[in-house]
Order: sequence, then C-alpha cells, then structure tokens
Amino acid sequence: MEFIASVIAIAVAYQALRGYNLSKERTLLYLNLSFVLIGAGLLVDGLSDLIVLLARGERGFLFVFNLGYTINFLAQLLAYGLLVFAYLYQTRSPSSIALAALPVMFIQRNTLTELILIFLLVYVATQTAMNYSANKNVNALLVFGAFASLSIAHLFFLLYILIPTFFPLAHIAQLFGFLLLLAMLLRVNQPA
Amino acid sequence: MIPSGQPQPQKATAKYRSQFRIYVDIMHVIQRENNEAKPTRILYGANLSHDRLIKYLDELKALGVIQETGTDDKVYSLTQKGIEFMNNFRKVESFASAFGFKI
Repeated sequence: MEFIASVIAIAVAYQALRGYNLSKERTLLYLNLSFVLIGAGLLVDGLSDLIVLLARGERGFLFVFNLGYTINFLAQLLAYGLLVFAYLYQTRSPSSIALAALPVMFIQRNTLTELILIFLLVYVATQTAMNYSANKNVNALLVFGAFASLSIAHLFFLLYILIPTFFPLAHIAQLFGFLLLLAMLLRVNQPA
Repeated sequence: MIPSGQPQPQKATAKYRSQFRIYVDIMHVIQRENNEAKPTRILYGANLSHDRLIKYLDELKALGVIQETGTDDKVYSLTQKGIEFMNNFRKVESFASAFGFKI
C-alpha cells in the first residue's frame, strides 16, 4: 500500500514541478517539495516493512520497522508543514507564515507530534474544502476528499495505539486518499 | 519557454497581474477569437493600455508563441508552440486550482 501511495505522491510532485517550470509560481514549488517528501517517506516506510517481512519479523529487524516509520512520520510532518506554509504564503501574511515553521520544533515522534500532524492535515483539508465550496469543481472535490481521507487515516494511526483494529483501517484510508489524488491527476491530464 | 513574471512586490494586491499572467491573457484572447485577433480585440480582452499591448505583443512574437499575419490590418495568431503552451498551461492551471492555488 505504501509503495502505491508513494508512486502517486511522486506523480503529484512531478505535475507540480511541471507547473512550476511553466509559471514559476512558488506555491507550486512548495507543493512539489511537499509531495517529494511524502513520496520519499512512504517509500522508506514501505521498504522497511518489506525488510521486516522478509526477515519474518525477527526481533533484530524490528528497529528497521521503527526507523522506517519514524522517517516517514518526520517527512510527513515537514511535508504538511510546507503545504500549510504554501497556503499561508498565498495570503502573503508574514506573521502567520511563521506558524507553519512550528512542526520543525517538534522533530520527535510522540502523541503530541502525531496531534500536530493531524492538525496540519485538518488545516490543509479545510483550505481545500473552502476551495471546493468556492469553485464547485470535481478536481477540487477530489483534492478535498484526499486530504480529508488522509486526516482520518492519521487519526486512525493515532487510535491504533489503543485499538489495533484501526491499523488496517488507517492504511486503507491513506491509500484511498492517494487514489483520489490519482483520479484528480488523470482528470487534469486528459486531452481537451 | 515563457519567462516568469517580474519579482512581485512584498504586499501584492489581488488585482496585481504578473507579466506571465498578462502573456497568458493575451494568448487566451487570441485563442478565443478563433486564433485570429486584431490588436483592438486583444487590447480590450486582456485589459491593457495601447503602449503595454504593443510591448507585450513584441515580446510574445520574439518568444515565438504568436505571429503577425494579415496584410492591410494586423492580425495575431498563435503559433504551434503557442498552442502547445496554452494546452500545457490549461493542465497546470487546472491542477493548481484543484489545490486552491492561483497562477
């Protein structure tokens, strides 16, 4: 699941880079960097899961699993912080832009940082919801759906500490979010 | 490749148009007029003064995305490069607007 999500994230990053090369609009550069981080994090997490799977869950390899998850978590924290920065940058409000740098101060993974990640995702989901309510177009709806789904996925990742059933549900919600982004990409790139 | 807009002022207003955006607006007007637009149509369509219109048309011609046709009256049309640029721009604009970003 992580590998599929990673490929989709890199595809979104590539589209954002194409947009930046064409228009030199900085928000697209931030979008590109954000999805590069998400894609790389998911790839590392997927690889670490694969290593643990191939080692048949031997105790010595469990640190690889934790390392992969932590790298993915930190990459996502930076990535969603960057996305929030991109939305704040668009409004050109220097004081609020400083708020987006907040995640950098919490580079340790714990419940608080998990909550910060969820907060960042909810902020992005809210921005995309506002965009959809203003534009009422299918692509905007797909992006909103994607970030809403990713927010739910991270909430499930947090809850899985208490109830293990949430772990597969979190992965399904995450994959669904990335599939919605893929649908948006395919729609954007279809010939006129 | 069309160059990017000029450096934006620190506190840009929503109505500020970058050079890039003006190029796109001009090309959009030409495309809307069945790829044959007179300067007056472009002037009104892209909301530009005469002097600025002449300046931007010259720049777009130098970039090879529009061409001047017609013998008596000047008529502007998009070149193949210009048509390809507009197709790519439309995809990028659609992608950016899906996230709520303006370009």
